Amino acid sequence: MNTQTVYLISLTAVTAGVTILLRAFPFLTFGRTGKPPEIIRYLGEVISPAAMAMLTVYCFCLHFQARPLSAAHGWNLPEIAAGLLVVGLHWWKRNSLLSIISGVVLYMVLIQKIFP
Amino acid sequence: MFTRKVLKSAWLSTIPVLMGYVTMGFAAGILFAGRVQTPAVGFWAFLTSFTSISGALQFLLSEWAEKHAPLLDVALLTVCVNLRYGMYGFSLLERFQGIPWWKKCYLIWTLTDETYALEVENKTPPGESSLSYCLAMAGLDHSYWVAGVTAGALAGSSFPFDNRGIDFAMTALFLVILTDQCREARNRLPAAIGLTATVFCRFFFPPDKLLIPAMILMLALLLAGRKKIERKREARP
Repeated sequence: MNTQTVYLISLTAVTAGVTILLRAFPFLTFGRTGKPPEIIRYLGEVISPAAMAMLTVYCFCLHFQARPLSAAHGWNLPEIAAGLLVVGLHWWKRNSLLSIISGVVLYMVLIQKIFP
Repeated sequence: MFTRKVLKSAWLSTIPVLMGYVTMGFAAGILFAGRVQTPAVGFWAFLTSFTSISGALQFLLSEWAEKHAPLLDVALLTVCVNLRYGMYGFSLLERFQGIPWWKKCYLIWTLTDETYALEVENKTPPGESSLSYCLAMAGLDHSYWVAGVTAGALAGSSFPFDNRGIDFAMTALFLVILTDQCREARNRLPAAIGLTATVFCRFFFPPDKLLIPAMILMLALLLAGRKKIERKREARP
């Protein structure tokens, strides 16, 4: 087996293993009491919005790294415009699929045709 | 055990999930094929989506597989991204009690945001078994996701097209989830903490080394400010 295959097997095992353990967590640990420890309950509630904000910033950092600030790249305008479209449309229409597809299409058009 | 009536109502309930999963899965699959260098990209897309069934994770998997991210980092980030799954089971403990273990295992394995929402809603047709109905929905949602991701990876690797910018699907997915969470005032402070921690860490780390320090800082802030955050959350339900 080459390194890539070994890595992909390990990656699949780690991600799936951790995800399945998380899903099984209540059934494995507190099956009798039906209540999580306070600290776990607290983290379970606040970590989702915090992690989504973290991942959003991370994604924008990746885009900005791939297309550094310059006139040819439209001064990061594609990222900002597509991001605002997604948030605005989603706040208004509450249709996840519509918001995501519109944002991706706008972004692809902007970076492929307008600021290539 | 699956009557026509159960299958039909499970199918009707999951149609919105079908559209979401196939579309998002397809985008994640295209990205996976574009990033991961392996001849059997369709197989790996199938295997990863089949085993973990997680949207945010599927996009991150492309990044990790491309850069060969350290597995410890991968494990920590997976906990962070999917910790919410660990909370869903608590509201299903009673419902899942006393059912055959292998059915319980399958329901646990397939517990995604969307399937969980449908199982809690539980629109079992009158006179039918709610267990069969939930199992049918879980199986359908599972197959939609795997089909979407695998088809996307196969399409992306066999018909090369200009897919520059498709990676914005991941950004848009996180933005949409974040927007939905921020509709509730109680989630805004935790979101602001995640945002601030990550922006702060960006001054010291390049993007590919950003997530672990950001996660640590974010957790430290969330734990240190627990009293304040909980008081605010109670004041604004």
